[in-house]
Amino acid sequence: MARRKNVVWQVWPWILFGLTACLMASPAAVAQECELGVDRIRVGGQGVLSGPLADYGRQIQMGMQLAIEEINAAGGILGCELEMRFLDSELAPAVGVRNARQLVDWGANFLVGTDSSGVAMALGPVLQELDVIQFFTHAATHRLTEELVYEQGIEHIVRVSTPVYQDAVGALVVKDMPEVRRWATIGADYEYGYTAWQMFKELLRRHRPDVEFVAEAWAPFFTMDFTPHIASVMAARPDGIFVTPWGGEAVMILRQALQMGVFDRIDVWWQAMGGSVDVLEGLTREIQADRFQGKLWASGRYIHNWPDTEMNRRFVQAFQERWARLPNYSAETSYSAVYIAKAAIEKARSLETSAIIDALKGMVVETPAGTRVFRDYDHQFEYTVPAGRAVYDPAYPIAVLGDLRVFETEEFWRYPPFGPLE
Amino acid sequence: MSLQVLIYQGLVGVSAAMYLWLLSAGLTIVFGVMGVLNFAHGAFFMIGAYLAYTFYGMYGLSFPVAIVLSLVGTGLIGLVVERFFLRPVYGLDHSFQLLLTFGLVLIFDDLVKAAWGGVFMIPPMPRFFEGAVWVLGMPFPVYNLFVIAAGLAVWAGLWLLFEKTWWGKLVRATAADREMAAAMGLDVRRIFATVFALGVMLAALGGALGTPVRVAAPGIGTYMIVQAFIVTVIGGLGSLTGAFVGALLVGVLNSYGTLLFPTVELALIYLIMAAVLLWKRQGLFGREQA
Repeated sequence: MARRKNVVWQVWPWILFGLTACLMASPAAVAQECELGVDRIRVGGQGVLSGPLADYGRQIQMGMQLAIEEINAAGGILGCELEMRFLDSELAPAVGVRNARQLVDWGANFLVGTDSSGVAMALGPVLQELDVIQFFTHAATHRLTEELVYEQGIEHIVRVSTPVYQDAVGALVVKDMPEVRRWATIGADYEYGYTAWQMFKELLRRHRPDVEFVAEAWAPFFTMDFTPHIASVMAARPDGIFVTPWGGEAVMILRQALQMGVFDRIDVWWQAMGGSVDVLEGLTREIQADRFQGKLWASGRYIHNWPDTEMNRRFVQAFQERWARLPNYSAETSYSAVYIAKAAIEKARSLETSAIIDALKGMVVETPAGTRVFRDYDHQFEYTVPAGRAVYDPAYPIAVLGDLRVFETEEFWRYPPFGPLE
Repeated sequence: MSLQVLIYQGLVGVSAAMYLWLLSAGLTIVFGVMGVLNFAHGAFFMIGAYLAYTFYGMYGLSFPVAIVLSLVGTGLIGLVVERFFLRPVYGLDHSFQLLLTFGLVLIFDDLVKAAWGGVFMIPPMPRFFEGAVWVLGMPFPVYNLFVIAAGLAVWAGLWLLFEKTWWGKLVRATAADREMAAAMGLDVRRIFATVFALGVMLAALGGALGTPVRVAAPGIGTYMIVQAFIVTVIGGLGSLTGAFVGALLVGVLNSYGTLLFPTVELALIYLIMAAVLLWKRQGLFGREQA
């Protein structure tokens, strides 16, 4: 008995030492790696994941995840690993706000994403209350940056994607088509559609006082049958039609327009965000067969075949290898948003919201879409995206925009003081 | 605005109305006979579209064969849903049926995402239906004419089925008085199952017919079901004639609204619905509930 007790007494201090060492070692090891004093950096995301527009949310998610995987493989941000959680915004402002709260409760250090302008406008004031930054990567309403940031000073809003200004770029292309004088719109029946049409008209009128705007038809989210809209604008015999429903809705409207013989009777169809990968995928068959007779034009918030830089080629290739698809604009903007956050956090050496915002000031950053310049006054990253004609190029698995026209942002973006439209 | 333009716009509205009619017909039959308000009806519209896409767009079967297979497939799913989910709640309050069928909407939306992914699907137009015919000097898609014909054929078929066949008599007897029908020795359970399957197949037909010009995407049924409820409120829930007239009204007025009042065309339908409710609470063709 005495001998056994003796052994226990000899071993006991060692066990104690071992346990203490283990307990102390694990947090110590993490703290040593991550310089920001957290176990990991949490990235919250949201976008639409249901309905004919669901691919945009999916692309946001894929872009974010690719960036996070790349950053983690390269050692994280200041040694801190990144983790992501992604929710469906259902394009509903109430859901978007609930998601933001949920993500902050989970511990999100910053947020990325959001497709609809309605959701974005609802989120703005909530971000301030939650004291968290959101990098908007798709929602395009000019009011987000002009009103909420520039006028009301909500600094928690940062937009990496182009605002609705980009949707007007078509005016700079069609101004050089003298025979196209009568314009109509089939618009998305919410703020985006109305603003895009306003900006397009304003820009076109500036260059072409002779054009007429002859008809309007408006289609709400989740419209499946656009034939009444197409018929009603065609009744006004337009030369050109400016069209803003996007995603699966853009594909439906164009296929229905083909069935109605629209392309035999007009000169130009401008599909504002038709440069989107899902739209081009959905129309590849028809574009390859030249069913649109070269009259279908579009732009995007990024297109994968421009600019021709090493960085863009690398991004497109990595994205294709990871997801077996081409990146849409919401993928590029979300991918770049994560890298922009990384640059800001590394500069601030902090996860404090105010420190990250300060670090963004004056930022000029190289991204796959080209050089993005941060506008301190409205927190909008400025960069240009070309417009082009929908063409089939055997070098790509799907149709692409070709015949590209590149314009300086000064020619079509808005600058302070932001006056009212019209 | 010329008369031609107005007639043409009306015709466009009629073709849009046919999808609504097919969806509302199933909704109204299931309610009329079984007393079940099926929120998940739109989900069967979506499943019909996905199955048609799968057989036609992916496996390359001919379009009519794909539609038939899609109807059979959706009907089978409907039978399973009726047997294992709806049957236990027939005797309970309506609110249980609403909760249950709403739950099914969410489940089916997610199952569709798991099976087909979140990306929308679009098969090519069947060659036979390519192109347009000239109506009043304007091109009108052949496919829309086909959809109008299909909608009218279904209307005639349902009328014959319910008014002229023995089975239709049994169903009407069951709808009129369930307990009496059971006491007379009718197998009410089997009638319910077949009626439910018929209802979801009509929804599936609406979805399947849309695939060449619309898209198959998760959640498309949810949008459609809202419209179908408006149709049945206007026409009278439980009345087939009501569903047909209601669908035509909604489709055609929507079309004229787009042409004549482009900024307020959405409100038009709701105004009509409110007016009908104020004037005839049970809908245009609905029977007064006891």
